[in-house]
Amino acid sequence: MLIQAQQLEKTVDTSEGPLQILQPINVSINAGDTVAIVGASGSGKSTLLSLLAGLDLASSGEVLIENEKLSELDEEQRAKVRADKVGFIFQSFLLVPSLSALENVMLPAELAGHKGAEKEARELLAKVGLEDRWHHYPNQLSGGEQQRVAIARAFVGQPKILFADEPTGNLDAKTGGKVEELLFDLNKDYGTTLIVVTHDQRLAKRCQRVLQMDAGQLSEAAQDVA
Amino acid sequence: MWHKISFRLLKHELKRGELTIMALAIILSVTAVLSLSIFSDRLQAGLTERSSEFLAADRVLSSRRDIPQEWLEQAGQMNLKTSWKVVFNSMAFADENMTLVDIKAVSDGYPLRGQLEIADEPFGQGYVAEGLPAEGEAWVASQLFQALQLDIGDDIEVGNSSFKVTKVVTYEPDVGFSVFTDSPNVIIRHSQLEETGLIQPGSRVRFNVLMAGDNSDITAYEDWLLPRLNDDTHSWRSIEDGDSPLSRSLNRAERFMMLASLLGVVLAATAVAVAAQRYCQRNYDVVAIFKTLGASRQQIRRIFLLHLLLLTAASVAVGMALGWAIQYVVIEWVAQKLDATLPQAGWQPYALAGATGVISAVMFTLYPLFRLVSIPPLRVLHRQLTAGNAVRWLQWVLSGGTIYALLVIYSQQWWLSTALFAGGAVAAVILLGLGRLFISASRKAGMQAGSSWRLAMAGLQRRAAANSVQMLSFSTAIMLLLLVIVLRNDLLEDWKRQLPADAPNYFAINIAEDNVDDMQSMFERENIPSTDLYPIVPGRLTHINGEKLEDEVTKEERDEEVSDEDASENDGREGIGRELSLTWRDSLPPNNELTAGEWWGDNAEPQVSVELNVSERLDIKVGDELRFNLGGEEFTVPVTSLRKADWNTLQPNFYMIFNTSTLEDFPATYITSFRLDEERKSDLYELFKPFPQASLIDLDAMIDQIREVIGQVSLAIVFVLVLVIIAGALVLVAQVQASMEERQKELVILRTLGAPGKLLSRSITYEFLVLGAISGLIATLAMEISLFILQNQVFNMTPVIHWKLWLLGPAFGAVVVAVLGRLSCYRLIQRNTAQLIRKLT
Ligand SMILES: Nc1ncnc2c1ncn2[C@@H]1O[C@H](COP(=O)(O)OP(=O)(O)O)[C@@H](O)[C@H]1O
Ligand SMILES: [Mg+2]
Repeated sequence: MLIQAQQLEKTVDTSEGPLQILQPINVSINAGDTVAIVGASGSGKSTLLSLLAGLDLASSGEVLIENEKLSELDEEQRAKVRADKVGFIFQSFLLVPSLSALENVMLPAELAGHKGAEKEARELLAKVGLEDRWHHYPNQLSGGEQQRVAIARAFVGQPKILFADEPTGNLDAKTGGKVEELLFDLNKDYGTTLIVVTHDQRLAKRCQRVLQMDAGQLSEAAQDVA
Repeated sequence: MWHKISFRLLKHELKRGELTIMALAIILSVTAVLSLSIFSDRLQAGLTERSSEFLAADRVLSSRRDIPQEWLEQAGQMNLKTSWKVVFNSMAFADENMTLVDIKAVSDGYPLRGQLEIADEPFGQGYVAEGLPAEGEAWVASQLFQALQLDIGDDIEVGNSSFKVTKVVTYEPDVGFSVFTDSPNVIIRHSQLEETGLIQPGSRVRFNVLMAGDNSDITAYEDWLLPRLNDDTHSWRSIEDGDSPLSRSLNRAERFMMLASLLGVVLAATAVAVAAQRYCQRNYDVVAIFKTLGASRQQIRRIFLLHLLLLTAASVAVGMALGWAIQYVVIEWVAQKLDATLPQAGWQPYALAGATGVISAVMFTLYPLFRLVSIPPLRVLHRQLTAGNAVRWLQWVLSGGTIYALLVIYSQQWWLSTALFAGGAVAAVILLGLGRLFISASRKAGMQAGSSWRLAMAGLQRRAAANSVQMLSFSTAIMLLLLVIVLRNDLLEDWKRQLPADAPNYFAINIAEDNVDDMQSMFERENIPSTDLYPIVPGRLTHINGEKLEDEVTKEERDEEVSDEDASENDGREGIGRELSLTWRDSLPPNNELTAGEWWGDNAEPQVSVELNVSERLDIKVGDELRFNLGGEEFTVPVTSLRKADWNTLQPNFYMIFNTSTLEDFPATYITSFRLDEERKSDLYELFKPFPQASLIDLDAMIDQIREVIGQVSLAIVFVLVLVIIAGALVLVAQVQASMEERQKELVILRTLGAPGKLLSRSITYEFLVLGAISGLIATLAMEISLFILQNQVFNMTPVIHWKLWLLGPAFGAVVVAVLGRLSCYRLIQRNTAQLIRKLT
């Protein structure tokens, strides 16, 4: 079991009193799974993602990554877990604007102190088809290109888990399709566990498992493929 | 690894111009502080050097008793130059004539600062003297030639000795401003003092040792000497506690310079803080991404601290080079203009500027940096998440503490720093409130106006929080600017008032009663502006309200005390307890101001009016009975008024003025001051030939010296003004830059909604206009208040309200902020929507 959520709840304080965003959630994800989380906007998908990745802390319940309880780790230790095991792709790309494409891709490996970050990054850039754009800055790249750089960055250091939050949400259908291809291709190559939040039915269908989020409640969707 | 990332980020941020403003702010602060402090350091050193001439030394040790020779030897061993100057009154005789003179016995080296000038004939053209009179010779003042009917080469007798008069003294650097109570000077050698037989126990002699040397040597000697001094008999003086109006002006100049440095520092700190805040805000996302990707706090802290340190180091270096270059150019120019060289500055300005740059860069970026490091990684999903405000107080403590520390470093005065700091804090709070008030008022007004205006006011209000902070710094910049302008004017006015172009340049004393009418008509006939002729009757004050002032022995000590106190007060140091110059008059003298009681007018009852300083010193009040002894004749009169006299005017001033009926029967001599233009000086001998008894004292040389010093100070003030203007402009630009992001977003939205470019560019202009006008208004208000406090507390000037500035301030603020704002936004408005959207993502 790579990731487990047990009775995971999230409540936030708002001006109108406490608001429960996530009802108690129980889910287990095996290594190598590809999981899609679908659901209406505002239903709590991103929140769940942030808890599973240790970006935020649950109000109650527990997240275990490789049997390690995230609630027992402090912020620094959770960062370490992310550095070692987790990759991210976001809807708004979130590249560092003052770093070039290559430097953006190298970043996670460098932060984790890996040697040979540049070589690995160049290879990944080649895999996403941007080897000759390595010196360009994010503002010199189109949205699709930026997301491809983000994908390359997500795979650098060979993380065990990849979280993607609506990776094609900001892209037109054609570009989105290309990005999707890349994502699944690389995922296959690297054998990464992929957890992707999406509105895109086609993308969801490519995953082995689809989870449905409804107003904070998570359920297994019908089209579960063995 | 982290340092690689740090270098990379820094390189790109520098290339992209993200750090330009911050670097500029640090460079500017270092440049301003360095050039200003080197300049004022050198100028002050120059001023002090010039002013030391008024003491003829850097320090003077004075005593009523002889000074141990070993103290001089010690000074010599500690690399100080020394020279004797022993001064006393004596009668001088030549044939049947005699008169009271001031004997000045000096030794080799005198004067240690400044120059002695002599001429070959009375009232002749002076030239710089090489050395001193030879043994057996004396150099005497011009007026002595009249009083004793002397010629060059004649002998005068003083005590048991006889001296051959070989030169005329035309200028002595250390005559001071109390000349009109003095007698003509006779300069002889110190080595011949003893044989005159005039130095007896109990005789009224002032022993002075002049000293000059490097500051460090002087300080070292002071450490050695001061514990050996007896407070009752010795006084140790430097130019700072000298008694001339010049030294007071010098003090003001010093305070002004110090204040200017403070203003520069506060401005620079503001710019650094604004830029740092913006820089860190721009990096919130970067930090969130870094953390999401697994960066630890420590890594992030190191990455950004390294940025800061590299940036600071580079900026400080550039600032140092620039600052040095600027002061070099300015000093060259000043030196050329004044035809004088200024001494080099020490290492202190460099340390000060470097410390200022580093301290303000580090301290003002620490809080934003602290927040930056604490940005939660979750920001990648929720962009509204910023760092917690939990440690907000840290910002106030850090920036407040830094400003206070800098204040203390700069002023080296606790009370002044604390007062300025507290005042500044209160003012900031009030100004912030005022700014908010004005913004919401203008928003209401804007609702009634055209769409550009409405848009502008809406923008102003939307950014109210940011704007009131901006306004605070705009206001501060404008206020400092106004402050400098006004202070400069007021200071110069004040100085000019002290020394108007038609200030008297001669005193005539010892005028015989029979000559009064003739002299007055001579002045009128020759068109020579002069003051009234004041009678002088010598006399003593013996009792106050029947209480006898101390007898001879203790009175000696009292003299000591009084004269030492006088040294730092006004002239007339030999005033009280001994012979006073008394006068009588029907009307209050010009430049005198009644502070208590009433002027007598026609009232013939015996009475006296007392000068304010003396009344305070002796604790005399209206209604007190004073007893005087005038050459053996005693009488008692009530004090009916107290007067404030203006000691800065070159006019005869008196401690005690009686009404006419009280004194007119006593024998008197008369005194006046008058102005004789340069080109008529050669007539002087002819004009005064009918009045052989009268003595003349030439003040021109002294006045010239003062003018020159004032000229230097004025130049320094212009320099300060230019620097403050540049500093202020940079703060403004930093502020506008800080609001750029938000403006871009707004502009994109408005453009996308189809707002015409003209409307947008107009609304931006209006927004800056209003922001500037409000800032100007607040600045004017703040300026008036701080000026009132400053003039009252620091400069001892009379505060006035500057009505013109109430128009000028807002107008100036509006124009400057609008122009700067428009210029900074120029590219923004020019860009088309597509470019803007691209830049935002
Ligand atoms: N810190 C928070 N404070 C208040 N409301 C929040 C917070 N975080 C999330 N929410 C709310 O919780 C709901 C779920 O958000 P999110 O997980 O982003 O939804 P999704 O990703 O499915 O669109 C939304 O209504 C959002 O507004
Ligand atoms: Mg979401």
